[in-house]
Amino acid sequence: MSRVRIAIRDLSKTFVQGPREVPAVSAVSFDVQDREFVAVVGPSGCGKSTILNMIGSLIAPTSGEILVDGTRVGARPAPQIGYVFQKDTVFPWRTVERNIALGLEYRGLGRAEVVARVKEAVKLAGLEGFEEAFPATLSGGMRQRVALMRSLVVNPEILLMDEPFGALDTHTKLNLHAELLGLWGSRQQTVVFVTHDLSEAITLADRIVVMTRRPGRIKLVYDVKLPRPRDVIALRESAEYLREYGEIWHALGEEFQERLG
Amino acid sequence: MKPGHGSVWAWRVGILVAFLVAWEYLTGIKAISKMPGLYWIDPFFISRPSAIARRFVFLMSDEVRLPLWRMALSTVQSTLWGFMVGITSGFVAGLLLGRNDRIARVFDPFIVAFNSLPRIALVPLITMVFGFGLLAKIVLAWSIVFFIVFFNTFQGARSVDADLISSARFLGAGERQILRTVIVPSTLAWTFASLTPSISFALIGVVVGEFIGGESGGGLGYLIIQSLGTLNAADMMVALFVLGAIGIVMALGIRQIEVRLLRWRPEYQKR
Repeated sequence: MSRVRIAIRDLSKTFVQGPREVPAVSAVSFDVQDREFVAVVGPSGCGKSTILNMIGSLIAPTSGEILVDGTRVGARPAPQIGYVFQKDTVFPWRTVERNIALGLEYRGLGRAEVVARVKEAVKLAGLEGFEEAFPATLSGGMRQRVALMRSLVVNPEILLMDEPFGALDTHTKLNLHAELLGLWGSRQQTVVFVTHDLSEAITLADRIVVMTRRPGRIKLVYDVKLPRPRDVIALRESAEYLREYGEIWHALGEEFQERLG
Repeated sequence: MKPGHGSVWAWRVGILVAFLVAWEYLTGIKAISKMPGLYWIDPFFISRPSAIARRFVFLMSDEVRLPLWRMALSTVQSTLWGFMVGITSGFVAGLLLGRNDRIARVFDPFIVAFNSLPRIALVPLITMVFGFGLLAKIVLAWSIVFFIVFFNTFQGARSVDADLISSARFLGAGERQILRTVIVPSTLAWTFASLTPSISFALIGVVVGEFIGGESGGGLGYLIIQSLGTLNAADMMVALFVLGAIGIVMALGIRQIEVRLLRWRPEYQKR
């Protein structure tokens, strides 16, 4: 029996920009079950990142509430939450291994354990040989891999990801999809993944929340029935993938059309 | 070492030698032959390399009451003290005000007012308060260095990336840990950028202090003023050359430290 990890109830957010009020998210409600991988997709500016930021306590809701494991989120993020930003948030003055070690250091773990767990994470992410490299010498894909491992090494039960692969090229993106699925397959965190890339959402998620254009409301919630484990390359040629893609694309397309019209 | 490094050095040395030879030669041509004291370019004002070298050796010896190396040491000592006190206090103040809007707003007019005051106008006051010795020179150097470092650090502390702070918080950092692992390192990058100008300005402050500090303060600035009093161009040139050498060594030293501390920055990466 699955239990609800994140409960979003009638959530709205209106930004005040000088004299104007800009509604970003309007009356959104959905649940995320334990160990579920949920993707939130929608046209840009639909408030999908705003929802994620509210779950992570980065911004406060205008109305409605969010419960994480039954507790209403407040000013500080719940300790079981990990967050991967779209922007590069690897600390440039720390080497790869010292970046990955950050969360372990914050928790006051002993040196030996930090070293062991960082070593394991470096291996998992395929970053061997780059332990002592500074981020400035790495490619965007490798930096994002460091950011991902840095979040995962502390074993967060809930992982919020805000278009983490948005700035990467298709090839690097597919590699990271495969890696993320592999990591998720072994640890099964509860994930909320925001993206504007529909194929990315179908590749990764169990369930897709499709948003309308601004102010963002839920257009539809779609259950992805593709079997796991998934092969990120072969998947895209399967009839099932194409059928699901078509169905969601139709709903998304309506949103794009409304904007154009 | 890059290719062509040797030839760059050859050019540098060549230019220096040509300059010294021209100086020596041009100040030796008499305007009217056999008439003493009339030159096309009068060594009375700018001296000659040979005379400067002789005075250098003499001033270094123990035959003078205050040998040159003692004066140089005094200047270096005051500069380094003023520099270190200046960067430390400037960093702490910059960090404090940069991360605290309220304190920054309160202090803003005072800082602007004090900084717009030409520091040289403070020299007599500082001398009156701190006497003619080492301390006055250090205070003067500090008063300049402090503001350079302060403004840079202040700017750095304000521009710490909010997403880096958030990501640290998501990794479980408390406020003190955020200060230590995000705010301080991020700000330090800006502070380090002010080190090179700071050491030059510390030297300026010290030499100006020595101009009116008199013999008890010692230092190369004192030698310059003394040479002016005795119209001794050679001694003045000795002081200037030694000051130049000190300036170069200090700047190179700071540069080394900067490269070491900022090795994570793209512009300092080895290619």
